[in-house]
Amino acid sequence: MRHYLFMRVATALPTLLGMSFVAFAIVALAPGDPVMQELRAMGVVPKPEDILAIKAQYGLDKPFFPRYFDWLTRALTFDFGNSIASGRSVIDEILIHLPATLALALSALAGAIVFSLALGVAAISAGRSVGAGLRGFTILLVSIPSFWLALLLIYFFVFQLGWARMVGDGSLGDLILPALTLSLGAGASLGRVVFERVRAEMCEDHIRLAIAKGLSPAVILFRHITPRIIGPLATAWANTFGALLGGAVIVESIFGWPGLGQLILQAISQRDFPVIQAYLVFMGLVFFATSLAADITVILSDPQLRREVSNG
Amino acid sequence: MSKHSIAVRLGVAAMLAMPVAAPAAFAETSLTVAVSRDRYSIDEQKFTFTTRRPAAQIVETAVMPDENFLPQPLLFQSWDYADGTYTVTLREGVTFSNGSAFNADTAIASLRLYDQGKSDFLQIDQESLQKLGDYQISFRSETGSALVIENMTHRATSLFAVTENRAENPVGTGPYLLESYDPKQQITVTRNPDYWGETPSVDRLTFRFIADDNARMLALQNGEIDVIGEVTPQMLLSMPQDGSVVLNESRPIRYVALLANLNGAAPFDIVQDYKVREALAWAIDRESIASVLYAGRGVPAKGILPGWMFDLGEDHTDGFGYDLAKAGALLDEAGWVMGADGIREKDGRDLSLRLVAAYPNVSSVKPMPEMLDQMFAAVGIDIDLVEVDDSGVYGSTYLDTGEADLYMEFASNNNTDPTYLLNNLFTSTTPWGGYKFTAPGPHVDALLADARTAQTREEVIAKVRAAHRAIVQDDLAAIPILMVPNFTLSRPGVTVPMSEYADWIDYGHTTFDAQ
Repeated sequence: MRHYLFMRVATALPTLLGMSFVAFAIVALAPGDPVMQELRAMGVVPKPEDILAIKAQYGLDKPFFPRYFDWLTRALTFDFGNSIASGRSVIDEILIHLPATLALALSALAGAIVFSLALGVAAISAGRSVGAGLRGFTILLVSIPSFWLALLLIYFFVFQLGWARMVGDGSLGDLILPALTLSLGAGASLGRVVFERVRAEMCEDHIRLAIAKGLSPAVILFRHITPRIIGPLATAWANTFGALLGGAVIVESIFGWPGLGQLILQAISQRDFPVIQAYLVFMGLVFFATSLAADITVILSDPQLRREVSNG
Repeated sequence: MSKHSIAVRLGVAAMLAMPVAAPAAFAETSLTVAVSRDRYSIDEQKFTFTTRRPAAQIVETAVMPDENFLPQPLLFQSWDYADGTYTVTLREGVTFSNGSAFNADTAIASLRLYDQGKSDFLQIDQESLQKLGDYQISFRSETGSALVIENMTHRATSLFAVTENRAENPVGTGPYLLESYDPKQQITVTRNPDYWGETPSVDRLTFRFIADDNARMLALQNGEIDVIGEVTPQMLLSMPQDGSVVLNESRPIRYVALLANLNGAAPFDIVQDYKVREALAWAIDRESIASVLYAGRGVPAKGILPGWMFDLGEDHTDGFGYDLAKAGALLDEAGWVMGADGIREKDGRDLSLRLVAAYPNVSSVKPMPEMLDQMFAAVGIDIDLVEVDDSGVYGSTYLDTGEADLYMEFASNNNTDPTYLLNNLFTSTTPWGGYKFTAPGPHVDALLADARTAQTREEVIAKVRAAHRAIVQDDLAAIPILMVPNFTLSRPGVTVPMSEYADWIDYGHTTFDAQ
């Protein structure tokens, strides 16, 4: 397993390096001068030498590749410099916002998993017309844009029922609506995965044998189907978690949730390039980590793969 | 029941109710204001914590602007400028919130602290700072400017006490003390019980940072916030008309104007002809635009600086009316003849202009670009409309390269220096690179250079008037369209004392109607 992990990380290094280059290049080559934007916003009348000094402070006076290598060297020690807008270190900025986004993504993932399992299993167990209805419902939920769903939930739960606040202060109760918004869409998408996997397993010979032996549906589901589908589901969950971490920007903005989405939106509007670059790298690392975790789960859940990995 | 008995019973009931009623009578007043984002920087080089919007009123400036943006005493009691030297008498009886006195020593220390930053536009000669008495100091400008005191009305020049950690615990002389700051979430300040000045009416002020326009509006309607401090035009369009939201407005201060590319290379050289620019100015139906945008609160503009500002007055510019015949005649004079397709042409070239609507973003002026497109089409001008929602892209792609004929901007002179806006947008030596394309030429450069070095306020204003007239009338580097107020939205019963300058809205003196 150690050898597998080592190889997995080693093979990911070129990808991570490429990702760091893309993250740096996208921001460095994007139009917009952060120094001039900041100076205009501050109402400062700068002298040309002031502008040059500020550009030098952020390394913007150097050619592209030396800047990239300087940045990469520092990034290896998680030193992404300071935010142009706030003056705080970029790592501090991320750490300020990460807990809120993690809480939102984790609770949305939990909700999505519960919702997807219920939906998938119900679609399998229900009769043909109800099953078709449920599958249609999942398509509808997947198709609804998150901002529209958020506004719909706000209308009912905030304005009609008065059960929730529009913009909270980041407390647990304020998590429910944004998490629900995200989990409905993600859960519907995962529900379709559950449905497809369970239906595929139902066609397998060992499941037919179990049915022929007269085992109860619950026993068949939990003892015979679940171990077979947990690997692919874990992969889907991992990917969903990564997507929730990175894709909650709009929902965070609508609900005023103080997470990374808010940070990156503001950073983009202000051309706060150290923050944008670090965010892109961070999201890349998150996707790498979650896919690695999914791979490990797949291996651990599949005896055959486990043996292969153990034998090197 | 006799009247006497009823009176006794009511009296007893009132006495029993007093313990319940008393706390309500002395209840703390609090106000929650939503602003779009946290703009604070704790960087020592450009420290703006608690001084940028929302200005949290923990620290105070040396002087404050009056209704015409002229400096009035605050921490500086009086001042005099002669022979390049400012002599200032400080207000006595003022203390910082840490108990230290505000006097000549601490004032000089505060001014030195300010000068550490790169956001320095006071440009005080640090070597010249002198203590003349316990409450009297003097200093000179590095650049010989007579506008240092004017610039001190900017919140960014607020005077902090020199303490260990300004970002964690800012110490000033203001009416409020920092209670808590959650970056990107909110900042809360509470009333300073030892404040030297007029006691504010609000005990606790909370500024919430809510980026989304809809979220701010819905939060106001849901009673979660009391005031929206930053109102976009879209919010005005979607503002409910049932009385659940109240619009507060200042006098018009923000301009919408078309900046003309006077120095561009072909094909962006058409508006270098004054007659074309004048035709554009006469072809705009400003009244129609004013009725559609900004809740109908904008007014047709004669310039880009409002007449009340700095006592500039209204008479130094004439403005332009709506006269399609005149616009057509001017284009005829310029040699642009109407083509068969309704677009004028000259020497085989169509009268086609690229209009970029981008600053600060196109959303701020929608649907004005489309309205102008139609108005210009009526006189045979084809508009290649480019709408950009990102000022960075605008700057790099269109402004800095000069690759457009007209630039629509929605901005204001957000500085109490009368030369600030004109100098940055209309001089060939502008530090904001791209605006060299909108500079009329050496005569305006000279007027503004003279204004920046003039030694009396009257002289400064006279030069600014002349430069302003050149820019919006004689040279038409900017074609004025509208003047728009500064807005806030509040829930019913909450009255915000408005200011044209968003940093100077005194939320601490918000009043609440008796419910």
